[in-house]
Amino acid sequence: MKLTKNLARIAPLIVAATLTTTACDASGTDSTSSSQGGTVVKIALWNYKTTPEFKALIEGFEAENPGIDVQPVDILADNYPEKVTTMLAGGDTTDVLTMKNVTDYARYATRDQLLPLTDEAAGLDKASYSGLDDYDLDGKYYALPYRSDFWVLFYNKDMVGKEDLSELTWDDYAKLAKKFTKGSGSDKVYGTYLHTWRSVVQAISSAQTGGDQLGGDYAFFKDQYEMALGLQKAKATLPFATASSNQITYDSQLTTGKAAMVPMGSWWAAALLAEKAQGKNDINWGMAPMPQAQNDGKNVTFGSPTAFAVNKKARNADAAKKFVTWASGPKGAAAVAKIGVTPAYTSDKILDTFFSVDGMPADALSRRTMQPTTVQLEMPVSDKTSDIDQILKEEHEMIMSGEKSVDEGVKEMDKRVKDEVQ
Amino acid sequence: MSAVAPPVTEQPSGGASAAHQAAQKRRRRRNLLVGWSFILPNFVGFAALTLVPVIGALAISFTDWDSYSTPKWAGLDNFQRLWNDSNFWAALQNTLYYAAGHIPLTLVVSLGLAVLLNQKLRGVHVLRTAFFFPYITSLVAVAVVWNMLLSPESGPVNQFLTFLGIDDPPGWTSSQDWAMPALIITSVWRDMGYYMVLFLAGLQTVPAELYEAARMDGAGAWQRFWHVTLPGLRPTTFFVTVMITVSSFKVFDLVQVMTEGGPGRSTLVLSQLIFREGITQGRFGYASAVSLMLFLICLVITVIQFRMQRRSER
Repeated sequence: MKLTKNLARIAPLIVAATLTTTACDASGTDSTSSSQGGTVVKIALWNYKTTPEFKALIEGFEAENPGIDVQPVDILADNYPEKVTTMLAGGDTTDVLTMKNVTDYARYATRDQLLPLTDEAAGLDKASYSGLDDYDLDGKYYALPYRSDFWVLFYNKDMVGKEDLSELTWDDYAKLAKKFTKGSGSDKVYGTYLHTWRSVVQAISSAQTGGDQLGGDYAFFKDQYEMALGLQKAKATLPFATASSNQITYDSQLTTGKAAMVPMGSWWAAALLAEKAQGKNDINWGMAPMPQAQNDGKNVTFGSPTAFAVNKKARNADAAKKFVTWASGPKGAAAVAKIGVTPAYTSDKILDTFFSVDGMPADALSRRTMQPTTVQLEMPVSDKTSDIDQILKEEHEMIMSGEKSVDEGVKEMDKRVKDEVQ
Repeated sequence: MSAVAPPVTEQPSGGASAAHQAAQKRRRRRNLLVGWSFILPNFVGFAALTLVPVIGALAISFTDWDSYSTPKWAGLDNFQRLWNDSNFWAALQNTLYYAAGHIPLTLVVSLGLAVLLNQKLRGVHVLRTAFFFPYITSLVAVAVVWNMLLSPESGPVNQFLTFLGIDDPPGWTSSQDWAMPALIITSVWRDMGYYMVLFLAGLQTVPAELYEAARMDGAGAWQRFWHVTLPGLRPTTFFVTVMITVSSFKVFDLVQVMTEGGPGRSTLVLSQLIFREGITQGRFGYASAVSLMLFLICLVITVIQFRMQRRSER
C-alpha cells in the first residue's frame, strides 16, 4: 500500500524526467563516422532533389575520396538563410555550409562563424575564377565559390524568329518586345516578361551605368524604370501587379509560350534542361546577352556566385576543407558544368563540357552569351546591405505597381536610405 | 479530482490537539506535493519553452546581440532606436489598422453565423462544417487562392465588380490603399468559422425559458436577440473578443504569405518587423525590444478588457 502511494507521488516526476532526457538524447546522437568507419562530412544545402548540382558534386567527390562520406542536410530554399542563422546560433556542427549569397556570407564571416580558407584560396588560379574576389574580406577568404551565375536574356526561338538579339540596347529590346506582343484575352502573348524582383531593374542599371546601390543617390535607376514601365503601359509584359498577386513564376512565362524574351539568371538553363528531360516542356529556347545601356559592343551584366564554407564548429574540418577546395576547383567545375550549371571556375574545356550537355542550345549566340565582359556583383556587400535592400525592394514595388511615379519613388529611396540606415 | 485539502472543522482542544495538528500539517503538505507533482510536467514544459524565453527576451532587449557572439549591454539604445525607427511606427499603425478591421468584423460575422446556424433546420450541420472549413485549411493555400481571387486584372472579384458597373475596381494586394482591406477580408473569412463554433457553444447555454418568457411579453426577434441572446452570451463574447484581439495583434503568417508587408510597407505588421529584424537581419536585441512593445500593447488591451468585463458583471 505504502509502495503504491510513493509510486503515485514519484511517477509524474519520472515521466517528466524521462521526457526531458529523451528530448536531449535525440539531439545528441550525431556521429562523426559512418557505419563503414569512414569520415562523415555533413553539408547544409537546399532543395536537394530539385538542385542537381549538389548531387553531382557529392557523388563526384565521394568517387575520388572513398574514405569520406558526404551527407546532405536538406533545407527548404525559401528559409535557408534564416535556418542556417538559427543553426549556427545554436552551436550546430554541420561541417560544410552552402553560402547562398554574398551578403549572408559576409554576415557569417564577420561574426566569426566560419573557418578561414585563405591558404586554400591562395593556391587557386585567380584568373580562371569568376566571383572569387567577392569573397575577399580584407585579404581573407572564408568561402570558395563553386558556381557563378549571371543574368542573360532567355528567349523562345520560335517566337523571336530571325531577329538578331546579339547586340541589343534596352531601346531595341523594348521595340522588339512590343513587336512580339500579339493577341488578346487568354490568347495574349507578351513580348517579354520582367520578373517582380528589384534586381531586374535596379541591379542591371547599376551594373551598366556604374551607379552605386548603397550610395543613397538613385537617380541612375530612372532610365531603366521608364523603360520597364513603358513596356507595362504598352502591355508588352505581364503587369507587375498581376505577376505579384498571382505569384507568377518566371518559368511558366517562357515555357508555356506566354512571353518571347525573359531576362533571368543563368541558373535557369539547368532547370529548363531538367524540365525538358522529364518531358514537362518542349520549348525551343536560346540565350542572348543582356540588353545594354550603351551600345559599345561590351556585354555587361550582373550576377552572384554561390560558395561553400566550413563551419567554425565543424566536426571534421579537414575533410570539409578538402570537399570545399575540390568543389570549387576544376574537377568540381566539370561536375557541375556536365549538368548545365555555370561553375565559378571556367576554362575552354569547361565551356565545351557545358555546351555539350544534351539539350543545351549550342548556337554561336548562346556560346558568346556565356562569356560576358563584366559581371558585377548583384548587390555590394556591407553591413548596411540588408537594410538598403529592404528599402529598395519596397520602393521598387511602389513604382512598378504604379503607386508612385518614378521620380517620387527614387526621391523616397534617397530619403529613406539617408534617414533610416545608420 | 481535487488536490486541495478538505476543509478542516475545528476540533475541541485537548491533549491530542498537538499531535492532531501535526498530522493535519503533514496531510496538507502531502496534498500540496501531490498537486504540484500533477502540474509539474506541464509546468516544466511551460517554464522551459515559454517563461524562461519571455524573461530572456526582456533581458536581451537591453543588449546588442547577433545570436552568436557575447551580448553587449546597450542600455536603452534599442528603445531609442525604436522611437526613431519609421518602420516601427509604420508597422504599429498597420497593426492597429488591421486590428481595428479584423476584431469587429470577425465578431459580427461569426456571431451572425452562429445565430443563423443555431436553428433547427435541415442540413444545418453541413453548413456548420462548411463554415468551419476555412479555419482548418492550410494558411498558405488560403493566401495563394485569395491572392488569385483578388488579382487586379484577371481575378474573379474584380471581374464581378466590373460586371456590376464599377469601372475602376481596387487593385487589392497590389495597391497601397487596398492591400490591408484585402488582408482583413481574407482573415475574417478564415477565422469566422472557428469563432462561430465558440458562439454556437455559448448559445446552447442561454436558457430556453428566457426566450419563452420574452415571447410571452411580446418581444420581437430583434428584441429577443438584443435583450436575451446578447446578455446570455456575455462570457462567450468576452472570451472571443480577448482571443481575437490577441491574435490580431500578433498576426504574422497570413501577411507574410499574402503580401510580405507590401506593396512598399503598407501591410508591414509588428510581428513581421520582429521576424525581419531578429531572424533575417540577426539583430536580436532590437527585435526583442519590438516584441516587448508588442507584448505591452497586448497586455494593456487585455487588462482593459478584463476591467470592462468585471464592471459590466456588477
